Formats: sequence, structure tokens, C-alpha cells
Amino acid sequence: MTRMPTGLLLPETLLHTQWFGVLATFVAINTLVYVTLAITKVLPKIYLSDWFTHRNRRRETRNIDPDAEI
Amino acid sequence: MVKTSNFSRWSGVFIALLVTAGAGLLWWGVSASGPSLMERPAQHLFLGVWNILYATQAPAVSTIFVAIAIALLMAAAVAIVELVVTTRYRRSGDATATPLSPRVVMGETRGVHAGPVTVTALIPAHNEEASLPRTLESLQEQSVAPTRIVVVADNCTDGTVEVARRFGAEVFETRDNRHKKAGGLNQALSEILDDQGDNDVVMVMDADTMLDPGFLAEAVARFTFDRALMAVGGLFQGEEGHGLIGQFQRNEYIRYSRELKRRRGRVFVLTGTASLFRPRGLRAVAEQRGTALPGEPGQVYDTAALTEDNELTIALKSLGALVISPHQCTVVTELMPTWRTLWAQRLRWQRGALENLGAYGIRPQTARYWAQQVGIGYGVIALATYFLLLAVMALALDTWIWFPFWFGLGAVFAVERVMTVWRGGWRARLLALLLVPELCYDMVLNLAYVKGIIDSALGTKAAWKHVQHRSEVSGAIGGKSP
Repeated sequence: MTRMPTGLLLPETLLHTQWFGVLATFVAINTLVYVTLAITKVLPKIYLSDWFTHRNRRRETRNIDPDAEI
Repeated sequence: MVKTSNFSRWSGVFIALLVTAGAGLLWWGVSASGPSLMERPAQHLFLGVWNILYATQAPAVSTIFVAIAIALLMAAAVAIVELVVTTRYRRSGDATATPLSPRVVMGETRGVHAGPVTVTALIPAHNEEASLPRTLESLQEQSVAPTRIVVVADNCTDGTVEVARRFGAEVFETRDNRHKKAGGLNQALSEILDDQGDNDVVMVMDADTMLDPGFLAEAVARFTFDRALMAVGGLFQGEEGHGLIGQFQRNEYIRYSRELKRRRGRVFVLTGTASLFRPRGLRAVAEQRGTALPGEPGQVYDTAALTEDNELTIALKSLGALVISPHQCTVVTELMPTWRTLWAQRLRWQRGALENLGAYGIRPQTARYWAQQVGIGYGVIALATYFLLLAVMALALDTWIWFPFWFGLGAVFAVERVMTVWRGGWRARLLALLLVPELCYDMVLNLAYVKGIIDSALGTKAAWKHVQHRSEVSGAIGGKSP
């Protein structure tokens, strides 16, 4: 037997309305977006530039001393 | 007369409308597709003892995938735009539009040796006699010490000048300065900058900040190895103390530092707490003010900006400058000790960041900053509706119901929160693990953001509340990443 909660201040039926359903789904989508972003922040970051040979590999020194090694 | 764009007051409203429209669109999409209504919870005997109400409710699989796709696409779009813009400016050979781009600077300095890198430290100070000694000591203890230390004493009524002289620093006293820190620095720079060679870098640092050992050595090495590098920014950490409010701020700063390290030093803001600039960069900014950049011609800092360090960063980047925040360059700075001072500080940061963007408009180099502000703006709606949902459920139910799916997501969040402050020790981790306190802290910052938008639009006079002997770490979190 399931005794349904009656609610403290608001009617429990509110939770079964269309309006609340939209709010719950809206929050659900946002939460999933933020969880996905959170996971990307924890996982090791992938640097695309590490995978490719650098077109801009230096041909001259950038040191303040013009005679310094590249 | 300070030249500012009219748009600067409305940038916040523009972002508010944009994120509201985005949220409205999502809301409409959800209603149109017919949301799943809440199912009746089932009852379960846990270990044969506890009577547990639980609901296995979870969004449809398609909804989950759409949400994940939205998140990844947005993150990728922001990263790609930033990469494309950075690369384009780095390779620009247009000496008129991007006089500070590496290619242009390299061309102009090829074969010229302007001597070894030296550091001139400028410390703007307004009644900082209490904190100045520690700041000066931290400078003198650097393995590579600055050549000159100049305390820019601005309308001081305490012993700031005497303290500076006692520590052997030069003192520059401002004259008729009505523009606070930026005005004082402009006065000092107008005298100092003329004598600086290409490698005589200028460091601007707050009077209540301490450099960690090795900061200057790393910065000098960076300037030595790359003559096209225009600025090196510090990464700030919060000082110890101030109880819970201190821990909130420390956690925030730890996450920001971690984020910058993962970005390999690609700067959001060259923090006012401590950053070094090549004179060429500062001169170019001063020259371009009033035309390509906002502000008064001939001045390095835009005195109309509430967050002058954020503004200077955007100015340098707009001219194509290469700037970096190496993870070795860390400083410890003072934190806001009360909610009142924190509120005033964040109001200024958020409003300053928005107004800076408004002053620059939408340009390639500000795209990343706009995206960041839109992210914060949408976060306000997302977090507010989340709290609303919890409140409605709490008030409409009299029994605790478990939602395993959402409990699982909460656990993922907790892992992320804890891992990103791991370096801060057990207190940082414990606070992060509790989730709710940090969500409430975020909500306070969100309210400051909303208030900043309103104040900016109404043109309310901004308060530059000075906390006696307390820092106002200008800038970076205005585009706060968490």
C-alpha cells in the first residue's frame, strides 16, 4: 500500500501538473548540460595542437638576444 | 571627456535578453514536446528496516543525449572560436590594426638587442601602511629582484610614504588624482615609461599582495625567451583565514588557477594583483586610446573602467598582443573578510566586466569574453530554476523521496567539485563535497551579477568601496569560470 504525501504548504497535486512537468524537464536538461561540462573539467584535457605537426615551428630565434639559439 | 560607447551601459541588458530568450526557447521546446509528468513514487523496504519512497524517474534517453550534445557543442564552439581568433591575431602582419601581434613585433625588433630584461615594480597604494611591508619584503626576497620599486602613493593620509621609504622604495605621489588606482598609475607611467627600453618591463602589483618565490625569475625568463611576449600575468591564491567566507573565495581562486593551468596559461585577465608588461605594449595601448581603443588618448589605463586590469587585457589583446599567465607565477592576495565587502567587490567586478565588453563591442578578440558572460547569465537562470524546483518539491511533499538518477548526477557533481579544489587541502575538499553551500555562494555571486546589470543600465554611480588595508583583487573572476 502506498500512502501518497499530502504536501506541507503546497498541494501535492501541483507536482503532477503540466507546468511542473515542464519546469522539471527544463531543470533536468540544464542539470545534464552542467554535469557534462563538469565531467569535461575533471577528465584530462586533450590538446589538439599536440596531435599535429606545427606549421609554425620556429625558423628564427625569438630570444631578446638575436644570437641566441632557436 | 572620457570617451565611452553608449553600448557599454546596455551590454548587461543585451546579455540578459539573450539568455532569457535562450531559456525561453528551451522552455517552449520542452512544453511543445510534452514533458514527462512526475510519476507516483514506489515504496521499498531497505534492508528490511527503512521504509523508503523512491521514484525511478529519469529523463528520456533522447533528452539526455540532446542535453549532452548541447553541452559539448557549446564548449567546442567556444574553444574553436578562441583558437581561430588567437591564431589569426598571432599571425597577423597588419602593423596598423595589430601593432602588437608577434609577427609585427618580431619584424620590428629583428637583429636588435635592447639589453637584458629588467623589472620596474609599480605599487599603487592608497593608505596601505599595514600591508605594504609584507608586499615589499616579498619583492626584495625574489631570486631575481626588481631593479626599481616605485610606490605610487595616491591621496594617502597614513604612513604609506614613510613605510615605502623605510624599505628603500622610491615614492611617486600622485597630484590631483580623481581617478583612483588607474589615474594614479597613469600619472606614474607617463613619467616612467619614456625611459624604459624594450626589455625594461613594468610590473604593476597591488599593495596587499605577496609574490611567491620564483615569480619574477619565471617572468623574466619568459620575457627573455620571447621578445614578442607583451605581458605576463600572475595567478592569485587566497590568503589563509576569514573562516567560511574565506574558504569560499579560496576554493573559487583554486578552481580559476586550475582552469588557467589547463588552458596552458592562456589569459582571461592580466590580474591587477601582479602582472608585468613590456613597455612597447603599454605605449601602443596609450597611443591607440580614443581611436581603436576606448579611453583618453595618451593614457595607459582607461579611467572610466571599473575593472581596469580586465580592460587593459582586452586592450592589449585587441592590438594583437601575446600574453600569458604561467602557472609558476603565483601570488597570495587578501580576501574579502565580510559578505558586505565581498558583495561590493563582486558588484564592481561583474559590472566592470560587462561595461568593458560594452565599450569594446563584439570583436573577434572579445568573443570569448562575451561567451563567458552569456555563460554566467544563463547560469543565473539555471541555478534559480533549480532552487525553485527544489523549493516547490519540498513544500508540496511531506515525505522524503529518493530519486536515484538525480542522486547519481549529484554524486558526479560532488566528484568534480572536490577534485577541482583538491590542492586546497581537506577544508577545501570538505566544503566542496557538501555541494549546497557552494551552490548558495554561487547564487550570491549570481545576484551580484544581476544587480550589476541593473546598476549599469540605470547608470547608478559605481561604488569603489575601499576596505582599509584590504585588497580588491580586480578582475579575473568577472568572467568567473566555475
